[in-house]
Amino acid sequence: MSEVNMPAQPPVLDISGLRVAYGERTVVDGVSFQIHRGEIFGLLGPNGAGKTSTLSAIEGLVSPKSGQLLVDGLDVRQEPLEAKARLGVQLQSSSFQAELTIQQIARLYGGLYGVKLSREQIRESMRTIGLEQELGKRFKQLSGGQQQRLALFIATIHNPLLLLLDEPTAGLDPQSRRGLWRRIEELRGEGNSILLTTHSMEEAQAVCDRVAIIDHGVLLTIGRPSELIDKHRDDPRVLSVAHGAPTLEDVFIGLTGSEIRD
Amino acid sequence: MTNTGVNTARPPRGLAMSSLLRADSIVMLNSKTSLVLSALLPIVILVVTSFGKGQSRLGGSSLLVSLALTLGLLTSCLLGYTLALAHDREIGVLQRLRVTPAPNWMIITSRLVVQVATNLLASIIVVIVGAIVHGLALNVGQYLLVIAIAVIGAAMFLAIGQALVGLVQSTNAISAIGRLLMIFLLLLGLLGGSGILGDTMKTIADWSPVGALLTLFSDLLNQSAWSGQDTSSLLACVGYIVVFTSIGIRWFRWNSR
Ligand SMILES: Nc1ncnc2c1ncn2[C@@H]1O[C@H](COP(=O)(O)OP(=O)(O)O)[C@@H](O)[C@H]1O
Ligand SMILES: [Mg+2]
Repeated sequence: MSEVNMPAQPPVLDISGLRVAYGERTVVDGVSFQIHRGEIFGLLGPNGAGKTSTLSAIEGLVSPKSGQLLVDGLDVRQEPLEAKARLGVQLQSSSFQAELTIQQIARLYGGLYGVKLSREQIRESMRTIGLEQELGKRFKQLSGGQQQRLALFIATIHNPLLLLLDEPTAGLDPQSRRGLWRRIEELRGEGNSILLTTHSMEEAQAVCDRVAIIDHGVLLTIGRPSELIDKHRDDPRVLSVAHGAPTLEDVFIGLTGSEIRD
Repeated sequence: MTNTGVNTARPPRGLAMSSLLRADSIVMLNSKTSLVLSALLPIVILVVTSFGKGQSRLGGSSLLVSLALTLGLLTSCLLGYTLALAHDREIGVLQRLRVTPAPNWMIITSRLVVQVATNLLASIIVVIVGAIVHGLALNVGQYLLVIAIAVIGAAMFLAIGQALVGLVQSTNAISAIGRLLMIFLLLLGLLGGSGILGDTMKTIADWSPVGALLTLFSDLLNQSAWSGQDTSSLLACVGYIVVFTSIGIRWFRWNSR
């Protein structure tokens, strides 16, 4: 990659003052953060915190009430298709046409992202993600881990600048989760940036360069996982939930409260 | 895929559209329901009615063939297309497509094109079978006009279906309302149009979607000259297309929440 002589590149993602509302209800309220090239950024928060809504605004699925959203310097609202071409997306709950086989799904999404894949190339790709035997199957016939691998493959089919993964490890067994983390590391190595949401602190610490904690639509804190622990280790709310030295999870629970969300 | 840095190019539209058309065609071919609704059901009606002596009472062979054509379009557009769209919305297929760089109109247009093409093919088969079993002698010009009217009919019922999916969120409700609507439109067009419910109902029926389409088809198959009634029917169809397409576009929701 010849990034050396290039003019200063804009952040991969630049969000400022983002506000998303459904009807009267504001669910993302003044969120601002940036993601840089090759960075893996984790958006942490309890259920209903506004993680998916933030991603939806970036993806163009909801239109924000206010704020600015730039992908690679492009305004998402003014140039939605240009912005989408730079995004790889794995939605929290999405599905592929039930009547299509894995092979046909790969072909369709390749075409939608401008990547022409031959049968042999698809077969080869599926081999690398362990779905070679599944080529003729339908999406619904796959196991949870297989569905996730396919969805991630589709999300990265065009080698996107920024990958948006909404709770990618939800419902996965430990093997699949580790497999996904490995894949995320590889993607970073290839120059992709990643924004993922999770409520697993283990995951955030394992793969994220930086994390932000969001609750009730507001970003509470942002930084490297170790920085966050240092920054909040003397917060009484964190101390009251910590057993011994505070962990990222203690920071998370301290800042977002112990009440259970659904 | 290249490994020379990340990709920022906007993909070519032609490739996106052809990929969508290909996928939607595969879905259509795999879906038994849509094929049954658009072709098999009308053919069964044609064949069954060719045995009885009911033709004269129902208005003769040209009306029967028209009815079969209309029924194929009505069921496959109002039920087949509508339910498939609502289902894909409910399980998130549409959202997944919408986060790709394909424009929204392309995603829906591809589905409509495949649906209309299927209806065309089905209509040709139905009218050929109808001509054979009911002894209609049709020339090439009539076949072409049948195709033209089938396109108008498909567009009209698809517009109504699109509006239904736009206005109603739940797939179950769409299924129920779609069925009721279909029965209502059919009864209105047939019973009202027959005149047994009185003159007012006959006028309303003649301007209704099914009534108007039946008039166009049967006048064509009858070889009768173009009449003022045909002009009204054509206007009615175009009117429905415009009104319901606007509703369908204005109110369409991509997600089911
Ligand atoms: N389409 C929608 N319509 C109305 N409310 C919604 C919609 N999507 C999400 N919400 C509400 O917005 C809030 C934030 O949701 P979401 O962004 O999905 O949170 P998270 O992904 O962090 O769990 C929740 O209270 C949720 O119920
Ligand atoms: Mg979510």
